[in-house]
Amino acid sequence: MKPQRFAKTVSIAAIFSLPLTVQAATPTGWEIGAVLDAGITSEKLELGARDKKLQLGHSDVLIRGPLGDAFSAEASIAFHTEDGDLEHHVENAWIQTRTLPAGLQARAGRFASQIGYLNEQHPHADDFVERPLLYRGFLGGHWYDDGVRLNWTAPTPFYLQFGVEAFSGKQLIEDAETASSPGARTLTMKTGADINDNNSWQFGVSYLNNRRQAEVHEHEEDDHDHGHGHDHAHGAEFSGKHFWMTDLVYKWAPDGNPKNQQVRFMLEHAQVSGIHPESGSLKHAGTSLGTVWRFHPSWEVGARTDWLKVNKPEEHDDDDIEFGNARLREHALMLAYKPNHYQTYRLQVSQQKASGASDVFDHPADTSVQFQVVFGFGAHGAHSF
Amino acid sequence: MRIVSKLLATVCLYALAQSAQAFNVFACEPEWAALTKALYPQAQVFSATTHMQDPHHIEARPSLIARLRQADLAICTGASLEAGWLPMLQQKSANAKVQNGQAGMFYAADAVTLIDQYSGTITPFSGDVHPEGNPHIHLDPQRLLQVAAALQQRLRALNPDASDEIFENYTRFEQDLKTKIPLWEARANLLKGKRVVTQHSSFDYLWQWLQLQKIADLEPKPGMAPTPGHLERTRQELQQSSADAIVIAQHHDKRPAQWLLRQDDLHTMPLVVLAGTVTEVSPDALILWLESLVASLAEQLD
Repeated sequence: MKPQRFAKTVSIAAIFSLPLTVQAATPTGWEIGAVLDAGITSEKLELGARDKKLQLGHSDVLIRGPLGDAFSAEASIAFHTEDGDLEHHVENAWIQTRTLPAGLQARAGRFASQIGYLNEQHPHADDFVERPLLYRGFLGGHWYDDGVRLNWTAPTPFYLQFGVEAFSGKQLIEDAETASSPGARTLTMKTGADINDNNSWQFGVSYLNNRRQAEVHEHEEDDHDHGHGHDHAHGAEFSGKHFWMTDLVYKWAPDGNPKNQQVRFMLEHAQVSGIHPESGSLKHAGTSLGTVWRFHPSWEVGARTDWLKVNKPEEHDDDDIEFGNARLREHALMLAYKPNHYQTYRLQVSQQKASGASDVFDHPADTSVQFQVVFGFGAHGAHSF
Repeated sequence: MRIVSKLLATVCLYALAQSAQAFNVFACEPEWAALTKALYPQAQVFSATTHMQDPHHIEARPSLIARLRQADLAICTGASLEAGWLPMLQQKSANAKVQNGQAGMFYAADAVTLIDQYSGTITPFSGDVHPEGNPHIHLDPQRLLQVAAALQQRLRALNPDASDEIFENYTRFEQDLKTKIPLWEARANLLKGKRVVTQHSSFDYLWQWLQLQKIADLEPKPGMAPTPGHLERTRQELQQSSADAIVIAQHHDKRPAQWLLRQDDLHTMPLVVLAGTVTEVSPDALILWLESLVASLAEQLD
């Protein structure tokens, strides 16, 4: 172990032990917590965030609490390994109102956009080791950025919320050919209700207007030296001007008691148009369908299938832009042991199959076996539905 | 566009109609819904959970966000019982009245002292530990009285027009409960020193009040579902020193207790399944429920 790496490891260990020494709930309502997500992967997945062999997944240290009666705030630093290096970034640093009238709520700072079902949720709470393909392809796994948000929760007997966000967009499209400010704007609508004691649902529609046109890279024919063709940017691999997302979640639990048994279904679809000024009506599209069954208070089993269809703009020798049409399919099966709120052990098998332009998805994993461990320290935040 | 504007107009009219209606109370657990009904029957009371649900493991469902959005007052246990879902509901409802520190957010645990406070180090392997102490306070009638005293003050402050009436209801509730407590204690006299095996710390306040002894817990760690290894150890312990009953709550998985009772030497032990809280929300539900707990234990452990 290099001295520098060792120092980093020690500092990470010190940060994770911090919540152990600070009381979980301080009198002022401030909380500190950490999540350690580690895993082993037999073969890296195409568009996957986890390297082959041992790696640190999406781990973080966070602090949150009230700022007077009117505001609350949260800050977090996330860590993960990428190609053997430890990366870290500030993922959350925001302030939010608590007492605006009429169901209004505003937020400013750095935070994850609320588009889609999963984007705003912490990746360590996911049901599968990797996010659905459409998140990995279109949103860099999960998209957080610098910006502002205004939400309105309607006073209706069912859940109804509308939201607008404006972001710099630099975390979505790092290197832009052309850009306007704000770089990305979103509109979201979420609604949901209970059908009866046992059945609940939520439906959402989101629109993302991306005003940062991604740089087009040169076409590389069967060049395996460039790895997966990703630089280290934590941004969208495939982008466009208009992102539309719809999501449907349905959950069943006998007597409304998910502790003992629960079945969850998650369906998400995303469509991206305006890929490039010369792309015409070409689109990217992605769909994810997953289900999880908690068959015992501590055990869950789940399956997910993902489709991704892209038209990747590439610059050829004669300066022409051509669009590499390619598809990627992914199936995943997982078994998770969750003895309490603070521990998850997950075994997952994934299979990928690519078709179309061979240079777009050049390393699909035939079969990848992944084992993931998630530990929570200190305060553990509440999770969304 | 016309459809959208019509829809918005309908929503706004609905909002106005709602705000003109009764005092809306969102109770995290049914015991607090019942207590509110006893103190202020005119209130529109909604209970977020039932006796069939484990209050630690509720999801921040869309329906609950919508209910909290409309609430004038939220009554929850606190002491981290709802840590996995209430903060998300408060945030997503964007209801200024029910944020922490506001008059419309009432935590029952703030009105009492809790048993089993924990000041040690908590690791991922400690289980779901509540450093503040055991939050299942509604199983002790004395603590229930303390919560009622604090809640009636809050209800009166928020409903000055109904202040006298709430105080009258409170006095009646206090008298009824104080009359009942010695009767229940007399009935439970034969339970003193009885040895029980339980699941989770759901009934610890009840054991303390009626002086029963909890000798084993089916959970290896707080909040952790019973494991085969732990059940086997419990079986061996019980063969060494027997217990009078296994007592679990209705929302618990019955299979671990049933497995234990199928083992040699243990099948004579009764399995007592109690409602962990009131099964309906009505002004007299709390007293009826406590009475049924004492009666069930007295009958089945005699």
